[in-house]
Amino acid sequence: MTGNSIRAVGAYAPRFRITAEAFEEAWGQFHASGIEEKAVPGADEDALTMAVAAAKHALEADGSDGDKVSHLAFASTTPPLAEADLTSRLGAALGVPETATRRFHGGSTRAGTSALVDAVAADLDEGVALVVAADCPKGHLDDAVDHAAGAGAVAFVLDDGGRDGGATVTESAEYATPYPGTRFRQAGAERTEGLDVTTYDRAAFREVVTGAVDALDADPEPDAVAIQAVDGKRPYRVAGALGVDNAAIYEVATVQDLGDTGAASAPLSLARALAAGVETTLVVGVGSGAGADALVVEHDDAGAVSADLDLDGGANLSYAEYLRQRGEVTSGPPDGGGAYVSVPSWKRSIPQRYRLEAARCVSCGALNFPPAGACESCNERDGTEPVVLPGTGTVEAVTTISQGGAPPEFAEQQSKSGDFAVAVVAFDGPDGGSVSVPVQVTDADPGSVGVGDAVVAEFRRIYTQEGVTRYGCKVTPAE
Amino acid sequence: MRDAYVVGAGQSDFGSFPDESYRSLFETAFDAAVDSVAGGIDTDDFDEAVVGTLGVGGRQLGLSGPAVTEHVGLHGVPTTRVENACAASGYAVRQAVQAVKSGMADVVLAGGVEVMTDASGDATKYWLGVSGETEWERLSGTTFAGVYAQMASAHMAEHGTTHEQLSHVAVKNHAHGADNPHAHLGFTCSLEDAMDAPVVADPLNLYHCCPTTDGAATAIVVSEDVVDQYADEALRVAGVGAASDRVGLFQRDSYVNVPASADAAATAYEMAGFGPEDLDFAEVHDCFAIAELMAYEDLGLCEPGESGAFVADGRSDYGGEVVVNTSGGLKSKGHPIGATGAGQVVEAFKQLTGQAGERQVEGATRGLTHNVGGSGGAAVVHAFEREEVGA
Repeated sequence: MTGNSIRAVGAYAPRFRITAEAFEEAWGQFHASGIEEKAVPGADEDALTMAVAAAKHALEADGSDGDKVSHLAFASTTPPLAEADLTSRLGAALGVPETATRRFHGGSTRAGTSALVDAVAADLDEGVALVVAADCPKGHLDDAVDHAAGAGAVAFVLDDGGRDGGATVTESAEYATPYPGTRFRQAGAERTEGLDVTTYDRAAFREVVTGAVDALDADPEPDAVAIQAVDGKRPYRVAGALGVDNAAIYEVATVQDLGDTGAASAPLSLARALAAGVETTLVVGVGSGAGADALVVEHDDAGAVSADLDLDGGANLSYAEYLRQRGEVTSGPPDGGGAYVSVPSWKRSIPQRYRLEAARCVSCGALNFPPAGACESCNERDGTEPVVLPGTGTVEAVTTISQGGAPPEFAEQQSKSGDFAVAVVAFDGPDGGSVSVPVQVTDADPGSVGVGDAVVAEFRRIYTQEGVTRYGCKVTPAE
Repeated sequence: MRDAYVVGAGQSDFGSFPDESYRSLFETAFDAAVDSVAGGIDTDDFDEAVVGTLGVGGRQLGLSGPAVTEHVGLHGVPTTRVENACAASGYAVRQAVQAVKSGMADVVLAGGVEVMTDASGDATKYWLGVSGETEWERLSGTTFAGVYAQMASAHMAEHGTTHEQLSHVAVKNHAHGADNPHAHLGFTCSLEDAMDAPVVADPLNLYHCCPTTDGAATAIVVSEDVVDQYADEALRVAGVGAASDRVGLFQRDSYVNVPASADAAATAYEMAGFGPEDLDFAEVHDCFAIAELMAYEDLGLCEPGESGAFVADGRSDYGGEVVVNTSGGLKSKGHPIGATGAGQVVEAFKQLTGQAGERQVEGATRGLTHNVGGSGGAAVVHAFEREEVGA
């Protein structure tokens, strides 16, 4: 099979982690064998924000911008909305042209590999494909699905081979056959479940994995196997059938560190393989129900795929904090009226919220944010030119909002994740100068951020009202 | 332009009053103002009324002015509601002065009212902070405490202002408020109390923040043509200044002062022909401790950056250079948003007519009131001078 090749990869996992020991302490046992710790999305993260983070890493590794993307694919079993085209928000956050082809893949943890297979065959019209898989499954608190449930995102930039190097998908195949009752989520439900018939689940996994791999034209003889991992044990049950030893799976696995990452699981392992320069990787994405994709990825010139994998943890949670962050024990937003920002007015500000689009005054050259009204510097209204801020900046003023002190829009977030810092940040202009923006600080102990500190912008959930989550910019301390 | 005088002023108690309505509180303040006019005044005398309020927790957003003036029997008197957030009734007083100076009115009632303590915790959260810049500032996660805390962080970074210096503001203002029978929080506190209180928005703690309060205050402003009918001695409005600025802190030229306050003060001093060195007292807008420190600098009571030492050294207390917030200020007397600016004029009236009791600044002849809306989107300053006006 000849098609588009992978030239860059990016990955992201939330900084919060919880260990198997923390579960054992809380429950007396841990149901997800082979997982040492797992990633937990913060209260202001979801599959869309993780997708944006991974995609930015991939584009940065590639040295390109979103405006080159002609094919955008988003794969997730846990999109924050069951209905609504989230590729529009994903694209807007990355600066992808409005006319790009967009595809959403969901409904099964195979979604990530399916999106990749489609992108390999896509007509890119001299642009690039951006394939993003992000997932953060949830189970019932006392079952194996939840104990294993992790979080992570991965993104691939593909082109049609016009650029040297890269990794090629030399072959792909798939296999599906009905196995009802293996992992499923009812329409309208938040939590994934399964009948937990151990031997039946294992049989389903084995049949679709070997079925897809056997459908490949040739024995791939892989150096590594990037395979779907609902826990840290099941992947190894098919090592023998695939003709590899456990190490071929383990050296690229992420489940032991990140937990079950759903649609991002096998693609994350592929990212790890490409970053490590593995020559031949067999990728197997498995969806319950049951079906599988098998892809062979050849990476002849090690290092030809640029990679930026941001998968390290930063803070360990107790089990109680885990429940709070996920909103399991919080009561939701407060009632009441007061200041209200309508969704249409939020929509008008999306270029500023998502990508920090500022304006340069044509009269005096000063940067303005938001780009509306008389110039902050010269007070003239002679017009402005749009300018996208790179997202780096310096704290000019900062406070930590203590529990109970948040505006109502943030009351629920505060009960989930506690005190937060809010700063006025002087964001750098693309060609010098700066402009100040009030932003919340995330992914940092609030007290650790001071006047003069360097910060970088991140795409996060801001708040939810009337069922509509407003996304926008926060900052984290620069590394 | 002819001169304007304050011949009477009065307030309700400031505090939390579940048995009172915004109308009954306004009535109490109106009656107190009428009673304070030495020569007496009839409701028929009023040509105009201006009322400051943020909207009484949303229950009377429209026509909240006539809703209170009709209640006190000012039937038919043209009434305007002024909304400039926490500076609402400071601006109401300014409108009254303008009406008198312009010649359109001889007797104007200026006042304000707010009820803030009877809403549920959730509803209160929605209302606090509605006067900040909503779309960006509030939705970064701040209410006013947060924005003033950001200013405090910048002031500390630039001038080395300390947590202890902020705490001295609370100690001083509570000591003053303890002598004010109308005060909401009329108790004293120690420096340790003020320093060790729970954090609200770092670096500001509970003692660095004013309370939410119910209350009303009114002042009666008359022209020089009729002033001698009402008093032998009155407060001449020597200077008036006001200025606006961008509503969001992030769009302002400075985070370590309130430029609108400095502009308003400069205008008021120029009109008055006297300056900060001539003041015996000043009622300044201390919604947060850092706000009082910035006010010292913006009003010229001390040099920029020296406000922390100014309060810690007692230079803004009795026996110092100028006594600031003899009433207890917003911190101790309370902050019923729409009533605060008029309430400052009530204290100025008491000081300049020798009726301030335990709080009296000996021989006070000149004083100033300073009222800020939001975190500095609007500011208004009045300079008053005691004058013999009797025939």
